[in-house]
Amino acid sequence: MKWRLLVKRWKEGWEKPRYQEYVVEADADTSVLDALEKAWLGDNTLVFEHACHHGVCGACGMVINGVERLACITRLGDVAVGNTVVVEPLRGFPVISDLAVDKSRMFRASARVSPETLEPVEGEGGELPGRASLRPEKLLSCLECGICYSACPIARTMEDYMGPAALALASKTLSLTGDWSRVSDALGRGGVWSCHAALECSVRCPAGFDPGGLIMVLRGKALKRMLGGGR
Amino acid sequence: MKVLRALAEWMRVKGRSAEYLSFAVRRASGLLLAAYLVVHMVDISTLLLGEEAYNALLEVFHGPLGLVFDATLIALLSLHGALGLYSMIVEAGLALRWRRALLALAWAGALAVTAAAVWVMLSVW
Repeated sequence: MKWRLLVKRWKEGWEKPRYQEYVVEADADTSVLDALEKAWLGDNTLVFEHACHHGVCGACGMVINGVERLACITRLGDVAVGNTVVVEPLRGFPVISDLAVDKSRMFRASARVSPETLEPVEGEGGELPGRASLRPEKLLSCLECGICYSACPIARTMEDYMGPAALALASKTLSLTGDWSRVSDALGRGGVWSCHAALECSVRCPAGFDPGGLIMVLRGKALKRMLGGGR
Repeated sequence: MKVLRALAEWMRVKGRSAEYLSFAVRRASGLLLAAYLVVHMVDISTLLLGEEAYNALLEVFHGPLGLVFDATLIALLSLHGALGLYSMIVEAGLALRWRRALLALAWAGALAVTAAAVWVMLSVW
């Protein structure tokens, strides 16, 4: 089957972005990322970011037919309108080239929290011969894909807002460590109080990390602490 | 310009979830109600022009136009109020597990209040 990809393109020096059409031959189960790679074979100037191809690295976040998704786990047949798929770069970040955006604002915000990266999980631990017992842990689910920034109306319009991912990591860090000093930036200007609870971040999060819910958890704890009821 | 651009971004609801749509409705209804306050001040000010002027204005609102205007106003008020209550609860970190049910309840409440108000208005019209 033939699919029509309409890709929003912009490169440094262009006055404004424009949409370019690529026609690719693929079946309905083909991912948008694979379709973009097919298009790239015919046009090596098309720029997009990707790595793992299976929804783990978070590199290929894009706006696909108006909604933020990971291109690698989005099938053409699930999102196409007719046979057309419109692909745009994530919003809320400066575009570097075509579909590649500069996510450094998210990483800078995360660095202000120095987030924990592991959380304990339910289950029996184990022991290695001659070593201390092991506590089962997992990496935090956040992929740092930037989808939540693009989905969030505040992150798209308020430059100094720390953003959903960074604030959710702050919330997790407080839950895991109980250390309020780690989240002081998240409680300041551009922090949790700037969130207006549109909660689109949680709806769009491809990892089910629930950034909006975690922000509200942190707010709840901060409120309780301010009112003298929390540690 | 920056404010208008931000507003346009906030109102970009195509393809968005019920949560986002509710956020946009909460914002839009707040702005419209603030605008209504100004209209209301102007409307009240016609009293200064005398009884005749004020009665003429009231006459306009006795017609179908007034009914539509009042129904819209009540819908805006009830939506803004109900979604505001939902927002207050969720934004305080409460009942997060039931936030979808709360949101559905807020919409149902607002629509029920609007429907009841329209029914009352129609029955006395």
